[in-house]
Amino acid sequence: MQSAPWVTNYLTEHFADDAFRTLDGYRARGGYEAARGALGRAPAELVELVKNAGLQGRGGAGFGTGLKWSFMPADAGKPKYLVCNADESEPGSFKDRLLMERGPHQLLEGLLIGAFAIGAEKTFVYIRGEYAEAARVLQGAIDEAYAAGILGASALGSGFRHDVVLQRGAGAYICGEETGLLESLEGKKGQPRKKPPFPAQYGAFGMPTTVNNVETFCHVPHILRRGAEWFRSIGTEKSPGTTLFGVSGHVVRPGLYELPLGTPLSEIVFDHAGGVRSGKRVKGVIPGGMSMPILPADQLDVRMANEFLRERKTMLGTGGIMVMDEDTCMVRAGCIITYFFRDESCGQCTQCREGTGWLHKIFQRIERGEGREDDLAVLEDVAAKMEGQTICAFADAAAWPVQGLLRHFRSDFELHLRERKCPFAHSFEL
Amino acid sequence: MAKISVDGVEYEVSEGRTILQALDDLGVLMGQVEIPHYCWHPKLSIDGSCRLCQVEIEGFPKLQIACNTTVKDGMVIRTQTERVKKAREGVMELLLVNHPLDCPICDQAGECKLQDYAFEYGVAHARTREPRRAAAKRVDLGPTIVFDQERCILCRRCVRFCREVPKTGELAVFARGDRSLIDTLPDQPLENDYSMNVADICPVGALTTKDFRFKIRVWFLNDVPGVCTGCSNGCNVYLGVANNKVYRYVPRRNDAVNETWLCDEGRLSYKAIGAPDRIKETALRGAHGLAAATRGAALAHAAALLKRAVDAHGPGAVAGVASAHACNEDLEVLKRLLDGLGAQGCVPVPTWRADDLLRKPEQAANAAGARALGFGDPAPILAGIRSGAVKALVVLGHDLLLPAFLGGAEPLAGLEAVILLDTHHSELERAAHVVFPARHPAERAGTLTNHAGLAQRVEPAVEPAFEAYCEGEILAALGAALGLTGFGVAPAAGAGRAVA
Repeated sequence: MQSAPWVTNYLTEHFADDAFRTLDGYRARGGYEAARGALGRAPAELVELVKNAGLQGRGGAGFGTGLKWSFMPADAGKPKYLVCNADESEPGSFKDRLLMERGPHQLLEGLLIGAFAIGAEKTFVYIRGEYAEAARVLQGAIDEAYAAGILGASALGSGFRHDVVLQRGAGAYICGEETGLLESLEGKKGQPRKKPPFPAQYGAFGMPTTVNNVETFCHVPHILRRGAEWFRSIGTEKSPGTTLFGVSGHVVRPGLYELPLGTPLSEIVFDHAGGVRSGKRVKGVIPGGMSMPILPADQLDVRMANEFLRERKTMLGTGGIMVMDEDTCMVRAGCIITYFFRDESCGQCTQCREGTGWLHKIFQRIERGEGREDDLAVLEDVAAKMEGQTICAFADAAAWPVQGLLRHFRSDFELHLRERKCPFAHSFEL
Repeated sequence: MAKISVDGVEYEVSEGRTILQALDDLGVLMGQVEIPHYCWHPKLSIDGSCRLCQVEIEGFPKLQIACNTTVKDGMVIRTQTERVKKAREGVMELLLVNHPLDCPICDQAGECKLQDYAFEYGVAHARTREPRRAAAKRVDLGPTIVFDQERCILCRRCVRFCREVPKTGELAVFARGDRSLIDTLPDQPLENDYSMNVADICPVGALTTKDFRFKIRVWFLNDVPGVCTGCSNGCNVYLGVANNKVYRYVPRRNDAVNETWLCDEGRLSYKAIGAPDRIKETALRGAHGLAAATRGAALAHAAALLKRAVDAHGPGAVAGVASAHACNEDLEVLKRLLDGLGAQGCVPVPTWRADDLLRKPEQAANAAGARALGFGDPAPILAGIRSGAVKALVVLGHDLLLPAFLGGAEPLAGLEAVILLDTHHSELERAAHVVFPARHPAERAGTLTNHAGLAQRVEPAVEPAFEAYCEGEILAALGAALGLTGFGVAPAAGAGRAVA
């Protein structure tokens, strides 16, 4: 249980209560009633409901969940699978961990409804290997659910078969990409698949598959319980519902804050997270996990929903907000970011394999004070060459933060070039 | 069928194919239509990772990879726009970020797609100042292949080849990102009947064959189309020729015969052409064994021996043994000669370990051709040799010696006449009375009929450094010397060319 303060809403309302982690505790608060109701309805109706609610995937891309479900073939003539992406590998993101550790049955209920809606008899939960506690809690909940007849041959006595298999990953960022995840799930090296075919045609073990994020599933029982209208009444018109903002970095109260989409970034950083430590000023904020372009201090008025963030050339991503104070060297931050993406690139596509390494090497050189005049142009050009040209979005994820740093903190780079050293005090060796 | 437009030209293509497949089907890829590519190979699964084949397609906001985009009727594709060119430049620049650029010492130079495409589609100067990746330069992958990890561009054709064609799967990509390396597992070397194909499909100088590397710069080689004579599949090859010497076979694509592959044993069978054990002299058996003789003297002696055998024992005492390695044109002359003498003919066909890929059971290029000409099972003639009923033999090649047939030359010791026409020395010469050096299929024109009945033409790629003959030429002269009908008079010596 985290000690930092947080703001709750429907997803996290009972997270402070240990009983909520148990089946009895979950049921005492109305748990599994939404699923019971859903299992008595037509699957297509459920897809329509989620579509009408406007639920967007919470894994980073923000794709419409109902629309994604509707891609599943109605009669495939072979098993269909649902996959829950619990890899949560995006640095700065830690919402799914809490959702699993504090509300495992809420997730299982969402999975059951989702599986029924798309006609999947089996759900694979692919969980990040480092999430040992979340895996332990979730497996405990799965066992409870089997014992209570919520999972198994006849889920909640409905006659619908639903099995949940928990699979732990081995800690690769790319296994959070949905097709990289599928490869890893199948026991292969985690490398994204070329598309087409898309998972809805050829997914896990070659079967039609839908992959959704943990948080996405957690919203579903609430939509069932209270309706699409209610869901749409929260958040913005285009981005309904709440989301879990994970705030980290140089703030007074880092933590997880469940707030409606569209909440201004400044409100999250200053009101909820208490602003920057030691009375310092904000320098920049990464709004949605490390792969999203950074915003400078003067743009924190932005409302946290994709329709607004896109105007600032960034995105909501996974809602992982990373705050950097005025002492932060953005070139150094870039070194760390580019190191991460260099380390995690699967290496299939030319631009990503070679580009991530090249970006990192240039950042390191500039940070060492060995930058050259044209380095910034090369950084911009390499990032542009990586963007939008590869099998998966990893290369974009590696290019965007670089573009963001150069867009808003060019003076930091120029200072390094001019002074031929890093002008900032270092807190640790790179 | 679907109609697609590529750079304003309309093509009718098969539905369900990807753009590269469809253009390859039509034979216009990298000819009329230039879409450079590394990871895509017509005979391997689609990888989609090199990203070089990106093209602009109307209706798609992003560039699409031509290797994995299925054609649709009415699709409008552009391959030469600024955006496409920029994307290619980007891929080429990034591929070269870690490439060692050691072309001067690289054996692939001259047939390297990285060189070619960098020249065609890349930018002239390098902007990277960073140290390049250092990796192993001489990884011994197995008995046939050496791997330079620095030069590898990770197109993974070799990995897919091993998994999909010989289905042995020795190779894999280890590690990830810009540390990715292709390698084998410990104690599981790259060792299969087709291993050397990885050097052909490697677009760069990363995978080279131990046999060919550093033998000669490829720009000195003349690629002569030919046929592998290793077995009855008749795989199409290019003979790499320089200085009147064959340096290598590489597969020549023929989707009906060998696709783009060649087995390792077949590939190395070029060595037979320049082998030290070639028969280089016409010879006659005298009091002190075989001794060099002129062609005329040898022909006269051979004719006299055969005539004497026929006169003494009747035509049934003479038999002909065809070679399944000889060309149809020569075998046809042998057939006429035997018919003229009233003698029987047969063909012993060597066999080897076959598979369901290329290697066919019969280890000779023209067994089907020999059979089609009426040369049959050698058993009756072998029996005749053993019983003494056969007194004289005209023999092409020495497959007769194989355990499946005579098992050695001893049974021939009592024969009155053994006329041998052969390319390579063998024990058979111990029993031979006259020996004529024959030409290898790489040294003459002719046709070879493969297991499926496909007759394939070969042309001379090299000229032997000694006097050697097409079997048909000698046999025709022999027929003339014997006065057989249809043979006319003996042609002048030293013609040395094909009869066809």
